Amino acid sequence: MSDRLPEAIDPSLFEFAEFDEGAGERIGYSDYSYWKSTFKVFLKNRMALHLLIVLIALLLFTFVQPLLPGQNSPTKINIDPATSVQMRNKPPDSTFWFGTNSIGQDLWARIWSGTRTSLLIGLIVGFFEMLVGIIYGALWGYVRKLDRAMTEVYNVLNNIPTTIILLLMAYILRPGFRTMIIAMCLTGWLGLARFVRNQIVIIRDREYNLASRCLGTPTRRIIGRNLLPYLVSVIMLQTALSIPGTIGWEVFLTYIGLGLPVSIPSLGNLVNEGRLIMMSPDLRYQLIFPTIVLSIITISFYVLGNAFADASDPRNHV
Amino acid sequence: MIRYVLKRFLQSMITLFIVVSMVFLLMRLLPLEGYFGDGYDKLSAVQKTAALERMGLLDPWYSQLGHFYLKLARGDLGTSIIYRRDVPVTEVIAPRIPYSMYFGITATLMALVLGLTLGVFMARKKGKTLDRAGTAYIVLINAVPSAVYLLFIQLYGTSLFNLPILFDRYRVKSWILPAISLSLGGVAGYAMWIRRYMVDELNKDYIKLARAKGLPEKLIMIRHVMRNAFVPMAQYLPAAILSTISGSIYIESLYSIPGMGGLLVDVIQRQDNPMVQALVLIFSSVGIIGLFLGDILMAIFDPRIKLVKGEGAR
Amino acid sequence: MKRSLFFCLATVLLFSAAIAGAAPKSEDFYSVYSGELTTLNYLVVAAENEHSVIANVIDGLVEYDKYGVLVPSLATDWSNSADGKTWTFTLRKGVKWVDTKGKDYAEVVAQDWVDAAKYLFDKKNASLTANIAYAVIKNAKPYFEGKLTDFSQVGVKALDKYTLQYTLEKPVPYFLSMLTYVCFLPVNGDFLAKAGARFGTDNKNILYNGAYIVDNFEPQVGRRLVRNDKYWDKDHVYIKRLNYKYNKEASTLGPELFLRGEISSVAIPSSLIDSWMKDSAKKAIVRPAETSSYTYFYAFNFNPNFEAQYEPDNWKVVVNNKNFREALFHALDRRAAMMTAEPYAPERRLQNTITPRNFVNAGGKDYVDMADLAKFAKTDSFSKALALDFKAKAMAELAGKAKFPVKVMMPYNAGSTDWTNRAQVVEQQLENLLGKDFIDILPVSFPATNFLGATRRKGNYALQECNWGPDYADPETYTDPFVTGSNYNWPEKAAGYAQANGKTTYENMVDAAKAEVVNIAKRYDLFAKAEAYFIGEAFVIPYAIGGGGFEASKLEPFSYPFAPFGMSYLKFKGQTVMQRPLSTEAYNKLKDTWESEREEALKKSKF
Repeated sequence: MSDRLPEAIDPSLFEFAEFDEGAGERIGYSDYSYWKSTFKVFLKNRMALHLLIVLIALLLFTFVQPLLPGQNSPTKINIDPATSVQMRNKPPDSTFWFGTNSIGQDLWARIWSGTRTSLLIGLIVGFFEMLVGIIYGALWGYVRKLDRAMTEVYNVLNNIPTTIILLLMAYILRPGFRTMIIAMCLTGWLGLARFVRNQIVIIRDREYNLASRCLGTPTRRIIGRNLLPYLVSVIMLQTALSIPGTIGWEVFLTYIGLGLPVSIPSLGNLVNEGRLIMMSPDLRYQLIFPTIVLSIITISFYVLGNAFADASDPRNHV
Repeated sequence: MIRYVLKRFLQSMITLFIVVSMVFLLMRLLPLEGYFGDGYDKLSAVQKTAALERMGLLDPWYSQLGHFYLKLARGDLGTSIIYRRDVPVTEVIAPRIPYSMYFGITATLMALVLGLTLGVFMARKKGKTLDRAGTAYIVLINAVPSAVYLLFIQLYGTSLFNLPILFDRYRVKSWILPAISLSLGGVAGYAMWIRRYMVDELNKDYIKLARAKGLPEKLIMIRHVMRNAFVPMAQYLPAAILSTISGSIYIESLYSIPGMGGLLVDVIQRQDNPMVQALVLIFSSVGIIGLFLGDILMAIFDPRIKLVKGEGAR
Repeated sequence: MKRSLFFCLATVLLFSAAIAGAAPKSEDFYSVYSGELTTLNYLVVAAENEHSVIANVIDGLVEYDKYGVLVPSLATDWSNSADGKTWTFTLRKGVKWVDTKGKDYAEVVAQDWVDAAKYLFDKKNASLTANIAYAVIKNAKPYFEGKLTDFSQVGVKALDKYTLQYTLEKPVPYFLSMLTYVCFLPVNGDFLAKAGARFGTDNKNILYNGAYIVDNFEPQVGRRLVRNDKYWDKDHVYIKRLNYKYNKEASTLGPELFLRGEISSVAIPSSLIDSWMKDSAKKAIVRPAETSSYTYFYAFNFNPNFEAQYEPDNWKVVVNNKNFREALFHALDRRAAMMTAEPYAPERRLQNTITPRNFVNAGGKDYVDMADLAKFAKTDSFSKALALDFKAKAMAELAGKAKFPVKVMMPYNAGSTDWTNRAQVVEQQLENLLGKDFIDILPVSFPATNFLGATRRKGNYALQECNWGPDYADPETYTDPFVTGSNYNWPEKAAGYAQANGKTTYENMVDAAKAEVVNIAKRYDLFAKAEAYFIGEAFVIPYAIGGGGFEASKLEPFSYPFAPFGMSYLKFKGQTVMQRPLSTEAYNKLKDTWESEREEALKKSKF
């Protein structure tokens, strides 16, 4: 190469590039953080943001409500001092904001107490479901050796009617909060496990996983780093829906008579009681209020779940 | 592949055996008083023993289990002891299965067609009015407990459209509302999931390539997106169709459809052991077959899924 | 000649017109039900659900008329021996057994009752009503238990084709009333042997001799009963068809179906009654429903057997103190408790005695108006003043011997919303009235599965709401839960009531009453005294009777067989379905007429 450039080109435009070993080793730095981006995208969704605020407000309120002044106990039967008769089926007014039920208990207090109970059940059962379901489902889907045994266990547990288990638990442990949680946890994780297993079966033999196996990556890492993150969006959606799902299941159990006794208010009880008097227009408030609360919870979780699922898909990250 | 099928079949037999035996034992944990009605207090000890012996409940459990399997081998599902005294189980169940299946399959097909269509359009026009409307529908169906909206539909739908309240197999008009009600939840479910899977697919690189290549949108949708999005749902399809045999407890109670819904819950609560065992056997078989067919269907749709050890698979 | 012929013709025409006008016309009956029949085998079932069909398709020896008087049915005449142990019946001739299509099968003869008894007392058939029959029939119990193998020694014999004879263990004054119950119905032995294990499994596997035939039976869909044209008394059966449709949600959908004219009668659930009464159109078609003879009471447990956390020893001390029991007896506001089940007019279902009014009657005087029982019958136990008075006395007497507040364990069935609500009402009401320093009521929920086995039968309660239904038309049946050997509340374990012969005062009174088998009025008087004593000592708190509530119905009231117990009142014989439902006012007018007619009829009756 000649030292001299052609006359037309201005030499001051050029600089000699030295060989810098350090610079050669530098890799492209990106301050991309998966979760940060997820949250950023999530928060951009106005609808989800609003509902998140609503949901948090609702949750806070259910726990704060008993501490507010002037609140009635959810189980106290209110007697009219003038006639010493229970204040039954009173429509909403200034003393009883949501009215009273058929034996004179304050529906406002009952609904919040019921929401607390149902949410607690939903959260505890949901958390347990997620933990056991994901671990079981992932192992089941990925580790071929375990497939037979785990399918066996799944099939057996899935096919024993939950009614029998619930009936037996109610008979042995007596109906109550603890019994419901134990019974629901025992049988609730199966759905999520199968769901996760199906997803994993779909992607377990994709090339990148073959590559990981070739490289000798331990199973734990493959599941944790290769497979599960791929499924974050669908898992999040499923989990978000499991809480209203549990509450809906509770409504069904109360319908067939295996739910909580009405002395422990819960959204399931309240909805079922209201359902029976749906046909009398002046008593309908007993159905409408619990249904509205239940609907708000479900809608919030649904929209939040979908929004989060959308946001957690890396392809949606900016 | 044949070996795989055989293996699964044998596995299923073992599973069935375990399930039925466990249910058998669990039912026997329930109290003896439950086999009698309210008049239990007035019965003498001899009467109680005679009744229990007649129901075969006094033999040791392994003997009872053995008898059950021996009879099963001969094709005899047992005789109901409480639900319909002395009537063979097959006679009690057989007339009810067709009702549940007809309604169930019709509803599933309707739900599939409507739900998938809705979901696909929702994914195509993501964020626009149709998507919002569809989302509102899905959310409502999930939010309001089905026990409530089903009753609501029954009472107001029948008076609005002048349809009969109760199902009657000779009046075709009475078939409409139950079938529609049954499919509502399915429409919402299928729409929601296919939308989610399609949205996921649409973000993938190969779709970008297809668009860059200039493929018409419709072709991309049908040949690529839908087909891939449908794979995870294929798993549940056979199970959904087969599980219609168990009927819908709410709909059948409300409309007086003499199907299978609620039968299991009823016979468990009344402790009619032969009925419970027979029903569990039937439903478990159906469930296991459904799971198996679902796996096969999934593998058919997506050749990358290998159920059997092939090359590259572990 | 011509004129007389014309006259004859005219008379005949007028006569037939009169007849046609006189025989009531009736629409068909439509209804929905939520509990399907388990079987039509009437010799084994004990539940009212099945009895509602059996009562209409099989007739027995005697039946009740609409005033509650026993009248001949398949037996035209009867007599009993001097010692009261042998009853002989002459049967009606020409009564036929028909099959589901109405075709003749055989004639009803005395042997049919013997065949029925043989089937009933065969242990292998596991009849749930055999105990009622073998309690009275000679040698039946040993035969049932297998100690006697020769059936000819059992006290049921067909002396000839139309004469039936029962021999009893001891004289039973109420034997005739027992004959209306399922365990004394006939069966055709030939048909029974042919049908074998399939007898009663559907409408084709049973024969009919009653007012109706089951002509269509589809479990979980519905059934239909049609009038039996070969029935011996078919002139008094007015409804031609009884149509039943199955619906699991019958109680929720029923009122709506009635308003749309699809069913003939419906019970208004207590949750809807308020809104129906407020709507004037609906109020006009509502009428009170009859109460039954099922009795409810709150029992004090004298044999406590519950967990240590509920302090059974303390309870055992306090329950033996009469003042403590009296305090609770007078403190319970039964009306408030009843409102959970019967919000409208709860007083109709309250009762102050254990035996209900209108159950039995001697010479025109009702049982509850006899002896000392009369004053209890008229007095409401609820009295705040008396309750607090007894509370003070109890606390004074038990100071130092018992711990206050006393823990009162009260179980309830979590499967029943009414009962759960009632438990809360009773708890708060009693604690507010008597004060939390005196008692601490602890409602404990139990699942519906084996509820009674887990609570009452084991003695696992301190105070519990119990119920009892009568087995025959005699006050003795209402003493059965309280005598030694029963598992209700063990009053024989109460301290301080033992008499010289080792038995308690109450039991001796009951035994004396049972021994009186000849003079019925005296017998009832003695039972009334015993019951008055029992209530006076506050062994239980009488609470309510069953049935009641409100219904909207097109069925004509007071025209069907009236019976204090059993299944006669389930018969449709004599009833009509009217064009329009009755209102409460019209119903009450009819009721008044019926009650005065009944008084007359009872005075005149022989039985």
